[in-house]
This record gives sequence, structure tokens and C-alpha cells, in this order.
Amino acid sequence: MDDKRARFEAQVLPHLDAAYRFARWLCRSSLEADDVVQDAFLRAYRGFETLRGGDVKAWLFTIVRNCHATAVQQHKRRATVPLPEEGDQAMQSVLASGPGPEGASVAADDQRTLERLMAALPAEQREALLLRELEEMSYREIATVTQVPIGTVMSRLARARAALRGEWQRQVAGESRAVR
Amino acid sequence: MPCAEALRVQAYFDGELDALGALEVERHSEHCPECRALLEQLGQTRERLRGELEFAAAPAHLRASIARALDAEDAGTADAGAVAGLQRPRAPARVSARARTRPFWLGALSGLGGALAAGLLLFLLVPARPGAILDELVGAHVRSLMPEHLTDVVSTDRHTVKPWFAGHADVSPVVVDFTAQGYRLVGGRADYFDRQRVAALVYQHGAHMINVFTWVAGRRALPELATRSGYHIACWQLGNLQNCAVSDTGWDELQGLVRLLRAAGEGEAPPG
Repeated sequence: MDDKRARFEAQVLPHLDAAYRFARWLCRSSLEADDVVQDAFLRAYRGFETLRGGDVKAWLFTIVRNCHATAVQQHKRRATVPLPEEGDQAMQSVLASGPGPEGASVAADDQRTLERLMAALPAEQREALLLRELEEMSYREIATVTQVPIGTVMSRLARARAALRGEWQRQVAGESRAVR
Repeated sequence: MPCAEALRVQAYFDGELDALGALEVERHSEHCPECRALLEQLGQTRERLRGELEFAAAPAHLRASIARALDAEDAGTADAGAVAGLQRPRAPARVSARARTRPFWLGALSGLGGALAAGLLLFLLVPARPGAILDELVGAHVRSLMPEHLTDVVSTDRHTVKPWFAGHADVSPVVVDFTAQGYRLVGGRADYFDRQRVAALVYQHGAHMINVFTWVAGRRALPELATRSGYHIACWQLGNLQNCAVSDTGWDELQGLVRLLRAAGEGEAPPG
């Protein structure tokens, strides 16, 4: 058993930072991310024997993702008022805790922050983009984590990138009009 | 209308195509202005995303509470050990303790010819098997990520880092900062394995740290590419020096740094 703990600490625990980064994007608050990640590591530890030399990081991320889905389900069941659909408001708390109380001029800038744009993406596109650009996962790994075929990963990535590109172009166009 | 090749161009950009596929996409984009533009846009999007995306390391209290949760889990299973044994009908409950301590392969081995067994043992006893070295590399990389362990000399200036190694490692690695290409030189560190003082260079790429280890090459060649515990390892030799880059970056991203270091090393190496 000590051996299992030692192997787990050597193989899985080093991916804690990455798992937390991922959870932080999935969850509405850092508190929720803490809970999801802790739950995920406990589940990973319990299921560690089922991992036979596979891709540790993708395996762990799959568990984080499932834990998040479970947490969302539980929240929905408990809530008397239905929660808004995931996505649009997911990054609100990050923005609130991010730039600080600089005032209304910053609030206008918030409209343009990358977080805002990311939050506007459909959840499955945002997820694919984050796993590729931030976690640098391969298509196969992203397909494993998000449990869709590789072709779906490719089209989600393409759409997410095109959407961001379009937003940025619109911003640039808007700014040049405002200057004139 | 986007070109029908757009998804393949994206796959090329993400380093997902084999050499043949990559060549086809390169040929195609020579004649397709749309795909050329797409490649450029993909590059810009990536640069901006990786430059601006914010990320945080796991807080210390989370690390601690996970450790506590695992402790509790260990304690729980120890108490329930006997029960767990009963619940699993396939567990070899009647195997004696003496038999269990015998490695399972010993029985199989005794059946083989003596010469073969001796040869196999000799093979196993040769020190520093590639697998063992790869495990050590990943271990050294993971240790380096612990707080305060990353670097002994913090500097993005190669003229500070390179001389530092002269007194702290048995080799003098290639030291170049590639911030412009997305690989920021964070500093250097000395490690000890394979009975040598090994030089470790630390680069940051987005959210990922990359350790580049350099030591005097042994007789046994290391695989060019390997993955251990979710970490990618890329190995290459330059003269008599063995280099290995270890990280949880993507393959393409890790090999990007390897290409830069190889080119820099070949430029630096004395002729002959």
C-alpha cells in the first residue's frame, strides 16, 4: 500500500498544478476548483490500480472533468432557482478577483480581456482550445479527456480559433473607428 | 468559403501530421493563398493566447488537504484490509508469505536454460539502463518543480549561467535564451545522477517548465523520444555530450526547443 502511495505521488501528484489550472477554467470560483481537484485526486487514488501505463495526465484530466460534471449536477439539484447555463458567467468570478478595484475605466477594458472572449465561447470549444494552447495536449489526448472523436476535437479547435480571431478583428476595427 | 484543406492545415500547425502529410500541406499552401493566410492567423492566435492566458499554480493549502485526504484513505483501507480481501474473490488469499516475497518471474526463469538466464541477468545488471535513466530524468524534473528547487542560478543572461556551470557541473552545456521564440531561459541548476554532476538548464514555455539536462554520454544510447508518467523526454547527443529535455509541454513544443538548442550547439561546437 505504501508502494501505491509512493507511485501515486511520483506519477500523479506532479500534475497537480496542471489539474488545478484546468479546474480553475472549468469552475466558477477558486473555492469550487479546490473542491473539484481534491475530489479528483481522491478518486484518482482509489482508481490508481486501473491505470496501466497509460497517459497519466489525460487520465487525471478526465477525472477532474467528471468531478466537475458531478459537482455541477449536485448544485443543480440543490438549487431552488435554476442556475444559468455554464459558460457565459463562468469567468465572472475570475474577472472580479483579477484586475482589482481600479474603477469603471478598467471595467470597460474588461470587455476586451481575453478571459471575457474565452468565456463567450461555447464550453466545449473553450475546453478544447485550453487543452491545446495552455496544456499543449495532442489531439488524441484532448479526445481522451473530452471523450469525443478526434475529428470533433479538430472542428471545435477550428471554430474556437476562428471565433477569437473574428473578435480580435472586430476590436481592431472598432478601435480605429473610435480614433477617427 | 474556407478551403477544404483547412482542417489538415490546422493539424499541420498543431504538429499532428507525419512527415509525408506535412510535406503535402506545405506544397498545398504554396499554391493556396487562403491556407497560407490561415497558417499565419493560427500563428498569431497562438502567440496572443499563450502570451495573455492567465494561469495559477495550485495553492499550498490544496496540496496539503490532498495529502490529508490520501492519508485518511490509506488509514481507511488499512482497517478495511481484511474485508477488502474477502470482497475480492480473485485475490490469492491462500498464498503463503514466503511464496509471495519470491518475484514471480523467478519461477519462470528457473525453467530456462542456464546460459540464457545468465545472459539475461548480465543484461539486467549492466548499470544505467536507458529506462532507469529516463526515470531519473523525470524524477529530477519533478523534484525541480518543488518550491525553491528550480534553479541554483537565476538569470536570463547566458553570460551569467554558462560560467556558473564551470564550478558546479562536469560539463559545459549550450546556454542560449530563446525568449523571442517562446522559450524563456529561467536559470540553471546542478543535479547528480548516473554518477555525474549533471548540468540542468531551466526554460519556461507558457505554463510549462522545461529542464534540459546535459552530461557526458554513456555507452548506452537513449531513445530519441520517450514518455514517462505523462512527461515527454527528448534526447540528443552533441559530440560527447548527452542532452535530454524533459517537460509536460506538447511534443511539438518540446521539439521546438530541441531544434533551437541543436542548431545553437552545432554553431558553437568546435570543428571536428
